Amino acid sequence: MNLKKPGSSKPEPGSYQPVMPRNWWLQHRYFQIYMLREATVLPLLFFIGCLLYGLYCLSLGETQWQHWLAFMAQPWVVLLNLLAFSASLFHAKTFFELFPRVMPLAPPGLMIAGQWLATLLVATGLVLLLGGWL
Amino acid sequence: MNNTTQPKRSDEPVWWALFSAGGVCFAVVVPGAILALALLPAFGGISADNLSYPRISALLHDALWGLAGLAFIGSVICLPLFHAAHRIHHGLHDLKLGGGLLSKVLCYGSAAALSLLAIYLVS
Amino acid sequence: MSKTINIARYNPQTDSRPQLQAFQVESDNSTSVLDALLQVQQQDPSLGFRWSCRMAICGSCGVMVNGIPKLGCKTFLRDYPDELTVSALAHFNVEKDLIVDMQPFLTHLAAVKPYLINDDQSSQPHRQTPAQLAKYQQFANCINCGLCYSACPQFGLNPEFLGPAAITLAQRYNLDSRDAGKTARMPELNSKNGVWGCTFVGFCSEVCPKKVDPAAAVNQGKVASAGDFIISMFKP
Repeated sequence: MNLKKPGSSKPEPGSYQPVMPRNWWLQHRYFQIYMLREATVLPLLFFIGCLLYGLYCLSLGETQWQHWLAFMAQPWVVLLNLLAFSASLFHAKTFFELFPRVMPLAPPGLMIAGQWLATLLVATGLVLLLGGWL
Repeated sequence: MNNTTQPKRSDEPVWWALFSAGGVCFAVVVPGAILALALLPAFGGISADNLSYPRISALLHDALWGLAGLAFIGSVICLPLFHAAHRIHHGLHDLKLGGGLLSKVLCYGSAAALSLLAIYLVS
Repeated sequence: MSKTINIARYNPQTDSRPQLQAFQVESDNSTSVLDALLQVQQQDPSLGFRWSCRMAICGSCGVMVNGIPKLGCKTFLRDYPDELTVSALAHFNVEKDLIVDMQPFLTHLAAVKPYLINDDQSSQPHRQTPAQLAKYQQFANCINCGLCYSACPQFGLNPEFLGPAAITLAQRYNLDSRDAGKTARMPELNSKNGVWGCTFVGFCSEVCPKKVDPAAAVNQGKVASAGDFIISMFKP
């Protein structure tokens, strides 16, 4: 068999060797949604950054903690966290739908519903706890 | 054809396991955490009194002998960090910007360093 | 009615890259892309393409239709506007017009030993319960058309990646109760070009004409490979 090096610019006589462009994922919708799924980690990193900053402020004492609360209320921070929230829900949708295909333990519909229920329960628990209702 | 030499076993199971665990946390725990710590306080759904220094300090350090705080840090910071590192590492390969040893060390290395920082800050 | 079909033509002796050439074809409700290509061949006998069965079982008429991998015989002009573009399967070397070199695909298939491996020499039939059959049956429907390879960006980026069909076939035999060859297949699957080359884009399963769901097979293969990884840690 004639093994050719992929990606060489000049095609060897006998065949045309296609090269994938860097922007291949813009070529159609399915790949765009894939890249969007992969990119959900970028706003996630922003939220994690906020939390690390919060832990740092907490370790410094009460004044710094007040400073962090004020930081978290700034419009641009709220906006990016709103984006992180949407990203987490989009990630959840894709992740929950893929899970039954990777580990088919129960009917897919049941597994997807169960996972959303878990998200809802955890969210309710955290809101009740931090909101002082628990 | 050469099938005499076996290909080398990949260490990817380790990173994939961390990625998957982080993916579950990102989907199940993170939405609630953003809601309770960022969005509801900003929009007035959770009052500042409930996020006071003594209360949060106590929740993080003392609740369930500190285990609640560690579980929270693990599921909202550490594991999601490894999830993000994995997606960025493979995303760089998708964009033909790397995906080799350098991006692997940088991605998982930062995830590990930031995780240790988070654990240090609560201990 | 008449439709325009743009075909990516490539003659290895004169062209450096494929060029689109437009043809007019007559189309009714039952005209497939393969029918249209056969019409074009009447106008220009130099057009090269592969086909055989016309009923989506031989797997030889795979082409890109408007950039999406399709079987020519299972894709109908009625589902497209007045104009469509047909080119050779993506990620493979083009030999002429719509004919690609499938050798890398065949090499990857052979690498996973896609046949029953069993030392049992008895002449008795190998019985299998319906439940044992159901474990692998969906993954056994592959017709080796290669559409999933053209749909897979990871194969496009790294031609060494074993790819959807080969890993699915490995999984199909690993799950077969009559087979004892899993240990022989796992080293290929455990490598970086095995199951770990996949990022679950999932487009392979979208384009599969037989609804095999190769993406599910590959990712179930990751679970199997992770299990194999853990077992290997406890072995000397």
